[in-house]
Amino acid sequence: MRSHSRWGALPAAFRITLLSVGALIMIVPFLYMVSTSFKTSTYVFTNPPEFIPSPATTANYEQAFATENFGRFFLNSLIVASISTAISLLVSSMMAYAFARFTFRGKEAIFRVMLLGLMIPAIMLIIPQFILAKNLHLLDSLAGLVLFYVAGSLSLNTFLLRGFFESIPAELDQAMQVDGAGAWRRYWRLALPLAKPGLATATIFTFLACWDEFTLALTLTNSPENQTLPIAIKLFAGSGNNAVQWGLVFAASVIAVVPVIIVFLVFQRYFVQGLTSGAVKG
Amino acid sequence: MKRSRTIAITALAASVAMLATGCATADSGGGSAGDPVTITFWGAYGNGGNSAQQDVLNDTLIPAFEAAHPDIKVTYVDVPYDDLLKKLTTSAAGDELPDLVRADLGWVPKFADLGVLVPLSQAMPDFQELADATFPGVLSTNLWKGEYYGLPLDTNTRVLITSQAALDAAGLDAPPATFDDLEKAASALNGTGISLFADGGLGAWNISPWIWSGGGAITDDEMTTATGYLDGTKSVATVQMLVDLYKTGQISNGITGNAGAISTAEGLPNNTYATIFDGPWMTGIWADQFPDFAPIYAPIPAGDGGSVSVVGGEDIVLTATSKHQEAAMEFIRYTQSDDFQLALVPTGQLTVIKALGDKQVELVPFLKVFTDQLATAKARLAIPQGSQVDTILNEELVPAFEGTVSVKDALSKAATRIDELLAEQ
Amino acid sequence: MTLTTLGESLGADVAGHVSAASVPPARPRRRRSSTGGGLVPYLFLAPGATLFALTVLYPTVQAFQMSFFDWKLVASASKFIGFDNYLRALQDDHFWLALSNSGIYMVFTVVPQIVIGLAIALLLKRKSPTQPLFRVLFYLPVVTSWVVVSLLFRFLFSDAGLINFTLGDFLHLTDGSTPWLADRWTALLAICALGVWKGIGWSMMIFLAALQGVPAALLEAAAMDGANRWQRFRAVTVPAIWPALLFVTVMLVIGGFNVFVSVYLMTGGGPAGRTEVLLTYMYKQAFENLDFGYGSAIAVLLTVIVFILSVVQLRVFRDRNGEGAL
Repeated sequence: MRSHSRWGALPAAFRITLLSVGALIMIVPFLYMVSTSFKTSTYVFTNPPEFIPSPATTANYEQAFATENFGRFFLNSLIVASISTAISLLVSSMMAYAFARFTFRGKEAIFRVMLLGLMIPAIMLIIPQFILAKNLHLLDSLAGLVLFYVAGSLSLNTFLLRGFFESIPAELDQAMQVDGAGAWRRYWRLALPLAKPGLATATIFTFLACWDEFTLALTLTNSPENQTLPIAIKLFAGSGNNAVQWGLVFAASVIAVVPVIIVFLVFQRYFVQGLTSGAVKG
Repeated sequence: MKRSRTIAITALAASVAMLATGCATADSGGGSAGDPVTITFWGAYGNGGNSAQQDVLNDTLIPAFEAAHPDIKVTYVDVPYDDLLKKLTTSAAGDELPDLVRADLGWVPKFADLGVLVPLSQAMPDFQELADATFPGVLSTNLWKGEYYGLPLDTNTRVLITSQAALDAAGLDAPPATFDDLEKAASALNGTGISLFADGGLGAWNISPWIWSGGGAITDDEMTTATGYLDGTKSVATVQMLVDLYKTGQISNGITGNAGAISTAEGLPNNTYATIFDGPWMTGIWADQFPDFAPIYAPIPAGDGGSVSVVGGEDIVLTATSKHQEAAMEFIRYTQSDDFQLALVPTGQLTVIKALGDKQVELVPFLKVFTDQLATAKARLAIPQGSQVDTILNEELVPAFEGTVSVKDALSKAATRIDELLAEQ
Repeated sequence: MTLTTLGESLGADVAGHVSAASVPPARPRRRRSSTGGGLVPYLFLAPGATLFALTVLYPTVQAFQMSFFDWKLVASASKFIGFDNYLRALQDDHFWLALSNSGIYMVFTVVPQIVIGLAIALLLKRKSPTQPLFRVLFYLPVVTSWVVVSLLFRFLFSDAGLINFTLGDFLHLTDGSTPWLADRWTALLAICALGVWKGIGWSMMIFLAALQGVPAALLEAAAMDGANRWQRFRAVTVPAIWPALLFVTVMLVIGGFNVFVSVYLMTGGGPAGRTEVLLTYMYKQAFENLDFGYGSAIAVLLTVIVFILSVVQLRVFRDRNGEGAL
């Protein structure tokens, strides 16, 4: 099916140019960061800015990897982010399905309360959440982090997925109902597969949020066995103003960015597989 | 699809497993009597990748202590400096403080006021002996309502730093030693593109050396009032001098809070600034980044009050919830020992023990200026709301530097606001 | 109504998922299925709702409680003071300044992120070999930590930084020595620039996903009817991505008011507190002055403002949506 024609005559060259300029603005600061990560112990930036480090060195990366427990931090972040994302998707898609497909007492009220979760500044909850974690014996544990991360992502994911579920036509549900399919089957066999773009988006966002989360991790964990990557990066940054080993901080940041990019690349494929795939099968 | 269900179940199982592990780890830490006691010690020795201090602590000092005290084990936890206060606050609220903390000077009154610290002057029989050995300026930061809640651990101070290039441009043979020298240097530097002085703000850490050296004061000796002292004639005259220099461009606008100004750490080596105030830690940093730069250290320029600087550093405190107070106090005693103090000197931590001043200079000669300065250095206001004082000073003084308010009015307003804080004691 | 055609064509497309015999004949459709399922929806809600109530709502209530006390870390020493903290906030000049800064930031980051994010998503919609590459590039800022980019942008906008270099020495638009972070308005501009730069990729991703659901058949039909690109956009695309637009707007408004790390690290609220935003002000009260009661009160006020704004947005969006429902 030809889809180019509906765009009229927007020349490809114009499109590419616009996009390239935009992309350039997006990545220039990032490029600078990467290039600084290959520079020898700079704590200050040179002017005019050098994009090609000379001499270039991998010393920062070596130091980052050689830092005690760095590998452990990385692994902890990986475990916590992956498990939190999986659980969060399951739980919030269930909730989103309930909001999208059913009417029931208190529906909009409950939804508004969930929305409230988005608006509360997380930083204000730190002390009560710390005390709660302590009472649940979840201090200094990865499980504690998973619990709070999942909880923290519920509002966003439910809100997001509700929108996606709602845009699936209702008669598809009704068709399956007529077939005798119960709510769970409809959810599992129909809604989830059709909401793949939404699920993929939610996966990327949740993974990223858990991966980058710092404040709760710092508050709830003490021992290196349970700490996560953002803490390591902040430890490298020392006290923000003076004597920051920027090369080291940026090297650690670049290392930290890699898994998220991988998750992004893997899951973004699912955007494309959305409804259009149905057209091909039909 | 079967596969997705398997994934979901695995995820669930994994999380249950994690929960179980979590519970298990949380329970460990209590031992029966007779086992070595473990005390936890939080600090920011890690210094962001400049791990020299932390290495000395973990590789030399703690093993030495544990060898001398086989029944005590010390676990050091490194926390990013900027976040240490926050973590302490949260942990205090949740009753999960460690045994010992390397606390910034300004935090001791705060936490003492909250009742989470042990008054060492009462708990340690040998306290007076230990206290007398330390510099009075640093010791005073532990005093709160008549009791001492910690002992000095390490200290630092600010001195004047300049460079040969700057001295040449200003036509000076030696670093400016008095306020008059500064003003002469300022006129000589006019037109050279070099500013006489730069600093990062107008808080107590920044402005106190000036006010004290000028013969003024922030408050009276008993810390009951600031009015009449902060806005006294000498204080006003000193700040006026700074404002005049600022207006002629001889002080960079970093002092009024321009976060984008060239930092003092950079501006001195690359000849944007002629002089700055800073501490002993800069030497290692400059050696790394500007290997050709040779800083010249000198005392704070003297005004009518002599050459007086401000005391910085950390104290060691014992938390009231510690279950191993005796063991922790042993470690505190160890930190006051020559071994401990001198081991950290080469890494940039000045000793708090008066008698070790000479040894310190022997180990690291350039520390002479700092050691001498420490003899007369004073502490900032040791009240729980110390950070509010900085905010007040910044907010009231910036308009004075910008010229919208007179120096006297600005200082009076600041003094009134500080009076309110002092009244809360 | 053309949107009914949408339902039919889609029904046919996805017929492979359900047995052909059971596709119901065309009849009036409602957007939401009105299956009141008794206990079932509550079962679906249970795990999430319980978790949410325990770890988010309960702490929120506790934090709310704190705002009525002169709260000391050691809870027993806290004193009940009723609404004093709230009254103090309303009379506090710093509070109002922080509120206005948060509002300004919100407006000047939300609008660009939506407009530019949507524009980029539209440009990127077509499948082409360069599409994945561009997607990654635009998403990179989103993926980098706030701490790192805030410090990076602080450098970029510093007196001797890349921005001044570009504007002055490179493009010759200014004299290259603007002290961006020394003045409230230029500093806010720099902070907003960071906010927009960091967030565009995020809204782009959502719009990209939503644009997948715009029915191609409908666009073709409209084109054949003679509608130009803008009309097709308004009549077909916008209604189809309405839920996404709502979602993005609500999220960005909330995020805008909750700005913290970038301000904290770029200017620290300075100079002299002129770029303070609500959360940096709250943070200082709570964690530097250890005045949790007051900090909580500020946080509650912020939450109320954001809540009202969100409800208004939902109302407005849902009403407009009602007109165009299936």
